[in-house]
Amino acid sequence: MKKATWRPARRRQPEVRVWVSGSPPDIRCRKYDLRSFCNMVGGRGPKRDAGDSGFLGFRSGSVDPGTVRRRRRGPRNKKRGWRRLAEEPLGQEVDTFLEDVRLQERATGGLLSETPDENLFFVDKGRGEEDSKIKQDLKKSFWIDRVLESNSKVPSPKNILAHQVPNGKKLKRKQRLWEHLAQQGKQPREVRKAQARLLQPPTPKTPPSDPADRPFYDLWAQDNPLDRPLVGQDTFFLEQTKKKGVKRPRRLQTKPSQAPAVEVIPSGGSYNPSFQAHQALLQEAHEVELQRQKVEEKLSRQLAFPTVDKAPTQESAFKELCEGLLEESDEETPAEPGDGDADGPAPRPPGPEKKTEQQRRREKEARKLKAQQAAERAARKRRQEVFQLRGIRLQVAQRLTELARRRERRRLKRLAEDEKPRRLGRLKYQAPDIDVQLSTELADSLRKLKPEGSILRDRFKSFQRRNMIEPRERARFKRKYKVKLVEKRAFREMQ
Amino acid sequence: MGGLEKKKYERGSATNYITRNKARKKLQLSLPDFRRLCILKGIYPHEPKHKKKVNKGSTAPRTFYLLKDIKFLLHEPIVNKFRDYKVFVRKLRKAYGKSEWNTVERLKDNKPAYKLDHIIKERYPTFIDALRDLDDALSMCFLFSTFPRTGKCHVQVIQLCRRLTVEFLNYIIASRSLRKVFLSIKGIYYEAEVLGQPIVWITPYAFSHNHPTDVDYRVMATFTEFYTTLLGFVNFRLYQTLNLHYPPKLEGPGDKDSKDQDEGAYAMDSESCLEKLSALSASLARVMVPVTEEEVEMDEFPADGENAEQEEGLRKEREAQEMHKKLFEGLKFFLNREVPREALAFIIRSFGGDVSWDKSVCIGATYSENEPSITHHIVDRPTQPNPVLGRYYVQPQWVFDSVNARLRLPVEEYFPGVLLPPHLSPFVTEKEGDYVPPEKQKLLALQRGETPGYVNESEDEDSEEDEEGESDDQEEEEEEEEGSEKEEEVKLKVMEEQRTQGKKVGVTMGTLKLEDKHRLEQEEANEAKRLAIMTMKKREKYLYDKIMFGKRRKVREANKLAQKRKAHDEAVKAEKKKNKKARRA
Repeated sequence: MKKATWRPARRRQPEVRVWVSGSPPDIRCRKYDLRSFCNMVGGRGPKRDAGDSGFLGFRSGSVDPGTVRRRRRGPRNKKRGWRRLAEEPLGQEVDTFLEDVRLQERATGGLLSETPDENLFFVDKGRGEEDSKIKQDLKKSFWIDRVLESNSKVPSPKNILAHQVPNGKKLKRKQRLWEHLAQQGKQPREVRKAQARLLQPPTPKTPPSDPADRPFYDLWAQDNPLDRPLVGQDTFFLEQTKKKGVKRPRRLQTKPSQAPAVEVIPSGGSYNPSFQAHQALLQEAHEVELQRQKVEEKLSRQLAFPTVDKAPTQESAFKELCEGLLEESDEETPAEPGDGDADGPAPRPPGPEKKTEQQRRREKEARKLKAQQAAERAARKRRQEVFQLRGIRLQVAQRLTELARRRERRRLKRLAEDEKPRRLGRLKYQAPDIDVQLSTELADSLRKLKPEGSILRDRFKSFQRRNMIEPRERARFKRKYKVKLVEKRAFREMQ
Repeated sequence: MGGLEKKKYERGSATNYITRNKARKKLQLSLPDFRRLCILKGIYPHEPKHKKKVNKGSTAPRTFYLLKDIKFLLHEPIVNKFRDYKVFVRKLRKAYGKSEWNTVERLKDNKPAYKLDHIIKERYPTFIDALRDLDDALSMCFLFSTFPRTGKCHVQVIQLCRRLTVEFLNYIIASRSLRKVFLSIKGIYYEAEVLGQPIVWITPYAFSHNHPTDVDYRVMATFTEFYTTLLGFVNFRLYQTLNLHYPPKLEGPGDKDSKDQDEGAYAMDSESCLEKLSALSASLARVMVPVTEEEVEMDEFPADGENAEQEEGLRKEREAQEMHKKLFEGLKFFLNREVPREALAFIIRSFGGDVSWDKSVCIGATYSENEPSITHHIVDRPTQPNPVLGRYYVQPQWVFDSVNARLRLPVEEYFPGVLLPPHLSPFVTEKEGDYVPPEKQKLLALQRGETPGYVNESEDEDSEEDEEGESDDQEEEEEEEEGSEKEEEVKLKVMEEQRTQGKKVGVTMGTLKLEDKHRLEQEEANEAKRLAIMTMKKREKYLYDKIMFGKRRKVREANKLAQKRKAHDEAVKAEKKKNKKARRA
């Protein structure tokens, strides 16, 4: 039996699943009765009589409300009656019915009772060899996708508003009005405006901030546009109304450094340098590098952790702690016994003997004489200085030359100081690396030349070197709060 | 002993300086705005002498400004513009946030802008002042004009820089004021003399972009903003001095139709003018046709002694300069596509040569490669596929070296595939007694007008002259010899004498009589010198000896270097021979 027809109206035993098995074993033919299947799942379905309305429920408890016999009227003033009411509330049947209808629509795209049999039944021809596994694997989508996609057969309602024009009637009326007016020769304002603009295009506005179109003029001429409006006016008025700028102080006309703006690279930096010049430049760069290495080495030496054999042992650590203490005690111990014998403070050493009156007088006289002699000597010397005038002049000259020499030295020192870049902020100026190409890197022709270094950095460093900007370092991103790392519990439990 | 106690830090240097942050607050500006204002106005930070006093007892390193400078800044009208701009940005952000596009449009139309004209005038009261500060402006503009158009700075700024630099190059060409060129590994250094002011600038090579991260682009952009304004005004004035049109116009629009076809391939009509200008191949139109230049004759003063000599020297210098300006006049160059076109076109044109290139390389090619009147073809490849007779094929270094040597160098050493002589820096000037590399000596000899064939001889003469000077010194030395360096000196003397004797034979062969006369004169001069030394005072003598000692030391060092060089050259030669032999074998 290849095809089975089945009339649901005549069907009275919905719970029986029909399985016609008489087909040859290779072409098994299976027939499923969806309706009965569904009712069977519900379990309560068969108890209720569906009647003759032709409606078939899709779910347990779905009934055609029209066919249901009238509700038994129990007493409503009794508790028993209330209970029944609670069991089967009013309208529940209608509710379940409608729900079932929706379910059917969603699941199958229409009421089951109205679908033709061809749609409900099919002949199962079994699985062919080819579509067994591979096809399935290919077709099979992920479960997670299948869950998410909508499987409702009811098409989603169309957005009505998308096709509707709000105020459509009004607009239509307006349009009609304008058509009517246009016949008379009247046009709306926008159209008139646009036509007017076409006839008289507005002068294009020049954006003021466009630097490419800045007009230049002779700034240093007698009558330049900059000064023209101010010519012939009262200076006092101009100053008071701030029309004339404040005069630039003279001290600002000097540059902060005497270094040249563009320092030409030494001869060794030529693209095709002479041997000597190139070697000289290499030597210079080499020395810089050596110095840097030296500093680095020193730092690493100072910060290095001592090796095992140099590390302090317990003994040496204790020795270091007792440094100084033990030595003192060593010295003191032999001295102690001697000191122990003496008791009380040592007697004062005897002072000088008291002088006699005569001695005092003589000393006084001697002092007086000495002072007198010294005064005389000084006076004599002063008198003699007249004759030493030449010598004094020489001395003065020497002194002056010495002063001049010192002044010159100071001046030179100051000049040398001026040459150096100043300390203008938190950071010190760091001279850029010397740009140099090794002998192997030098190109043998201009075509193969590979430029070294960056002119942008060069210019930037030059500004710093000439004290025009303070050396700064790039502001780095700084996190305000510390980052806290937390292991999720699920992750922790897994491990 | 009475009176009020003097408070600290209320007088003296503490009140003369102000920290950066305080200055910023006083001006009510944000730090970037303050920085920009300072750069534009030319106000630079100061390092006080007594930092602790200025810093009110603290030794923390801070940036200080002079209080007077900041007070001066308070009067600047641009400060108000900065504040306006801040408000404008705030309003714009708000309008964007609320999606009020009309407001955005309106605000953008009324964007506050400022002009730097008055600052330029204030900082450079005279035109010469502006010229003196042009080094920086040119270097920055040339640098920015090579930047890629990728958000590092505004495209308009890059275009403006390009325009201004091209205008300046055209001026240099028109006025023929280029003096020196130096190709370094960093970029190309140029020196020009504009209205008597030497101007040095550096241009990067094409396509050498690496954007360093440790450079503050905002600061550099601010400097460029200022310098573009300056360069614009300077350009205008410079063009005026030569009676040229500004903005520049090209001369001779003869056959427009044929040209327009080419231009369409390169640039739009609006841009083709700048492109043609930047090709540097056509000369500029003048406001009025210049009257044939009357020779500017210098005033002749009655000659008297020293002045006459000076005058003579000056006159010679002037003549040499005139010759230098016409270095490439009458020559026709053709640039192959692998050579740096812009630099070479600029240099050749600014010394009066004609230049062209392949039509597909750049706009503005004036003649093709097949032109028979081409005299020099600049090539940077070892071999030329099909050379044309009647023209020299030279490497680009010939142009640069000729410019620096102030004469057309012999082309033999610059043929393609030949090992080039070193490119010496024209910015280095050797003092007397310094080591002069042999290449430079050769060049000097050429400049003196000696033929290159006798280069070696002339070199020897030089050394001989040197040695004669030295022998004088040595004689003086004998009178007062230090014991410590005696042996070394003697050794050196012996060596030098050997050298001189070894070479003297060769030199004095031909013109014996002339040399004798010369020598007699010299001997007399030497005798006079010796006498003068003998009559010196003790102190002066001491000083004189010291100077002489320094000179001798220099000579000794130079000799040492020369010997080193000789050894190196010999080593190179030997290696070459070896290589040759190896190749033959």
